[in-house]
Amino acid sequence: MDFFLQLLFTGVGIGAVYALVALGFVLIFRATNVVNFAQGEFSMVAAYLMVVFAVDLGWPYWLAFLIAIAGMALLGAIFNLTVYYPLRHRSFLPVLISTIGASIFLSNSVLALYGPQPQVLPGWLDTPGFQLGPVYLDSQYLIIIIATLALVAFQYWLFERTLIGKKLQATSQDKEMATLLGIPVASMIMITFIYSAVLGGIAGILVAPVLFVSIQMGSTIALKAFAATIIGGFGDVAGAILGGFAIGIIETFGAAYISVPFKDAFAFLVLILFLVVRPQGIFGERVAEKA
Amino acid sequence: MSRSVTGQLLYALAAAVVVALAATVKTDGYVANILMQAATYAIAVFGLSIVLGLCGQINLAQAAFFALGAYSVALGTVDYHVPFWLCLVAGMAIALAAGAGLGLTTLRLGGHYLAMVTISFQQILTVVLINAIRFTHGPDGVSSIPRPAGFTSGQAFLGLVVAILAASGYLVWRLADTRLGRAMRAVRDNELAASANGIDIFRTKLIAFALAALLGGLGGGLFAGGFSYISPDQFAFADSIVLLTMALLGGVASPVGAAIGTGLLILIPEWLRFLKSVPGLYLAVYGVAVILIVLFMPDGIWGYVSKFFRGRAPAPSKAGEPLVLKPSNSGAPMALEVKGLCKHFGGLKAVDGVDLQVRRGGAHALIGPNGSGKTTMVNVVTGLYRATAGEIFVDGVEVTTVPPHKRTVAGLARTFQNIRLFRTMTALENVVVGAERDGNMLVEGGHDALWRRARAALEFVGLGHRANELIPSFSYGHQRLIEIARALAANPTVLLLDEPAAGLNLTEKKALHDLLGRIAAQGLTILIIDHDMTLIAGAARHVTVLNFGRRIADGETAEVLRQPDVAAAYLGVAE
Amino acid sequence: MTLLEVKDLSVSYGEIEALRGVSFTIDQGAVVALLGSNGAGKSTTLRAISGLVAPSAGSILFDGKPIAGLSPRAIVKLGVAHVPEGRRIFPGLTVRENIMLGASNGNASVGTIRQEADAMFDLFPAIKPFADALGWTLSGGQLQMVAVARGLMAKPRLLLLDEPSLGLAPIVMQAVFQIVAEIQRRGTTVLLVEQNAHMALKVANWGYVLETGRLALGGDPTTLWSDERIRDAYLGGEQAKA
Repeated sequence: MDFFLQLLFTGVGIGAVYALVALGFVLIFRATNVVNFAQGEFSMVAAYLMVVFAVDLGWPYWLAFLIAIAGMALLGAIFNLTVYYPLRHRSFLPVLISTIGASIFLSNSVLALYGPQPQVLPGWLDTPGFQLGPVYLDSQYLIIIIATLALVAFQYWLFERTLIGKKLQATSQDKEMATLLGIPVASMIMITFIYSAVLGGIAGILVAPVLFVSIQMGSTIALKAFAATIIGGFGDVAGAILGGFAIGIIETFGAAYISVPFKDAFAFLVLILFLVVRPQGIFGERVAEKA
Repeated sequence: MSRSVTGQLLYALAAAVVVALAATVKTDGYVANILMQAATYAIAVFGLSIVLGLCGQINLAQAAFFALGAYSVALGTVDYHVPFWLCLVAGMAIALAAGAGLGLTTLRLGGHYLAMVTISFQQILTVVLINAIRFTHGPDGVSSIPRPAGFTSGQAFLGLVVAILAASGYLVWRLADTRLGRAMRAVRDNELAASANGIDIFRTKLIAFALAALLGGLGGGLFAGGFSYISPDQFAFADSIVLLTMALLGGVASPVGAAIGTGLLILIPEWLRFLKSVPGLYLAVYGVAVILIVLFMPDGIWGYVSKFFRGRAPAPSKAGEPLVLKPSNSGAPMALEVKGLCKHFGGLKAVDGVDLQVRRGGAHALIGPNGSGKTTMVNVVTGLYRATAGEIFVDGVEVTTVPPHKRTVAGLARTFQNIRLFRTMTALENVVVGAERDGNMLVEGGHDALWRRARAALEFVGLGHRANELIPSFSYGHQRLIEIARALAANPTVLLLDEPAAGLNLTEKKALHDLLGRIAAQGLTILIIDHDMTLIAGAARHVTVLNFGRRIADGETAEVLRQPDVAAAYLGVAE
Repeated sequence: MTLLEVKDLSVSYGEIEALRGVSFTIDQGAVVALLGSNGAGKSTTLRAISGLVAPSAGSILFDGKPIAGLSPRAIVKLGVAHVPEGRRIFPGLTVRENIMLGASNGNASVGTIRQEADAMFDLFPAIKPFADALGWTLSGGQLQMVAVARGLMAKPRLLLLDEPSLGLAPIVMQAVFQIVAEIQRRGTTVLLVEQNAHMALKVANWGYVLETGRLALGGDPTTLWSDERIRDAYLGGEQAKA
């Protein structure tokens, strides 16, 4: 039982990271109908920015964090302008391929600038963790869970309680109608990209102390986040979050009870399974309504 | 691109020359390696030409299929001492099975889902290759992979690979002009229209996907033989992207483009070797290149260049026999009968218990104000939507639950309100797609009969002399006519025209009216949905009126149009 | 005085000419009906006025200012609100939220907007009980009221209404047209596009009839309704009568 609880804690912790990335991914999809294959790279770039400022330059952690987040906001804006905006009227395939190109560019630019050695980023707190009854709570995982809950709460507040959140939702649901009402659709989309990049960045910074900071970390996280959105129901915000937690738990238990090296494969297996059995996910609408 | 016999002979000649050169000209090991890599990769990229270029479906796991072929050859020959050729064939079969399996799971969903599943498959395979050490040798890879007898020297094997490359290139090139190839192009250009013209969309996509996997496996197997050593890091997701970029750069839709793209993307890095000195720089540039290609050269280099070669369309052959329309007659009284049709979207009753009897021969119209349910009804009759209740009979055969592409066999053909032609094909090719639907008795003579019939159909609508021009060069009104020709070529029993007059000017409408008369004169049954009352009144003898999803009038056109409740449905209730 | 002047307006969708040389005016304070059968170009006219499509020729003057080719955002800021065909209520937002978004052309605070939305519920009491229900749960007639309320939140001087009666039962249609009359009473000019000519002419001060992209008829409602040619525009010409 103790082991189970420990695994649960870890699973929820890592699941929180996937949830954040999945959330950023779903927000972009809902606003622009684009599947952003570079979402994971946002996490990776942010983690590297932290390494540069907090480790290499030795600046205070909180300062490095703010700079990294600012950098992600800038990256999100540039991404919107160069990758999405010129292709916004084309069909989904060119845009999808374009985001793949961006993903390759980002990961390899970091590789070229920084080198292939994985880096270590220290956690936020100095204490490594503390014991709560039978479970050892790793402090970084605790921070991840708390930060994710805070961000999810913020997300809820933004979308449900502010006017701008309503405008963002309206833009996702019917761009032309939003334009007719005077909502600045292009700005709404820009905000969405910036916000998603920041979410992805925070996820990367949160998880970096737990894994190594490496070039590949982005794509691994992203693919699991994709799996999360499928499981939760493609395009559903709550589904993406819950799906993230689900994937984290499945993966952790899979690694413990079945086999560690293959744990990465589990998320993908579950993904394919869901696509075969229930493509609309847990919360989604019917995927196809044809004869 | 000439598809004539001359073109094929030229290809064979060129291929023979290249193969001979490859097999005899001595090159140093480094150049030989480059050529080997280019040749084997090109075979895999040919696979992408089929699935992405011809059929328009995304495949981000081509390196995985490549890996399946490579590992089959490697493990089979080294660990199990199975002969090379057998391993190669086995590898292709395994890749084919994997491709088919993946396709079965997601091709119905398409789009993003397909992209994700292919990536997932790629990732799972990489994990397995690295971690199932006892079976795959793990990260150490497999070395000392033997070559088949007779081709043990590097030179000879290269010659073999180039020969296979030429052969597969030929097959991919010719595929575009086969019935299957046309079906793939139709699915890519306009799925709905493909389905309405008798093409099984799912099966076509599945075959495309399986063929791509097959070619990927072939390339991979030859790769293993060529380099004698393989390891998991040669077959990662990044390599699938490299293959995709090669396809995109060259020009997705043709093997020539694929070859160009592959060649360039293997040679360029060699010329720009300094890029490889900084790890990551090379691929970073790759990434930018992908974005730029998508932005500025969506058809790739060959797509761009071949536009200059296209020149004027070759003049079509002289008109042959006139179009024959022999609608089948099962003896059932009605050509099209609908009983109690209902279509509900949740709470909305778009069609609410409608009966329709369309008598054989002549034209029948279905009219009603905006929102009356006409379009929904047409979509249910043609199979795009599933009926909530009711029955549909075409020529006495019940088709209520038959998928849309099979309704052509029962004798149903349709045109679309917002014209759905296959825009990358010529007018004649579009019409051929219609003619080659399953069960078309009038094209039993084979290839020639098929193309003669298509030509006759185009001639019937007055566009025979422009048979070899691409769709975008036709005016809207003429495109409408081509769509009708496509439907006629299928020799339907019932021709369903969805707002044929939409967007036509007065002259074009008159021509349409005359055309309808000529069609009806051949005994075909026509069902027209339109708003243009002048056209309806002139062309249709019977009319059915819908309002709010129900039938409110049915009978001879002149009488029905005089009925007060019909006027009221359109103009509003008069006190 | 003339609030809207459309001169020689032509609009093409690619090759298809949807409108050709259409000219008409709308006086301030009037309800003008724009009629015609499906495909005549009515919706295209509204889309050109609200900026969703750019005209290929001709001009549109709103209160003397040329607006042809301006962005929809700019035009709604000038005081022209477009309630498009099919209502297009945001399905994932509540009725209240939909209505509040109608004020997106201005800079008022959330509190003010909320108050104005509440005022809308007084004008449309039938939808008040649904204020916090999600868009997709309402019936057609209720959705139409929400759409109109949302349009009015922009405080337009000119309201473009595209086929409000579409898909509605006759008795519900009555309620919608009564609302049009009320809107006029409160000082907003209305350009009403309708297929249902009879009801539209009952509430309008003036009418125009489009036929395949051209203006065929124009006049006061009584004259227009008794004109044989209006029937022809909808139900076909001489041949239909044969």
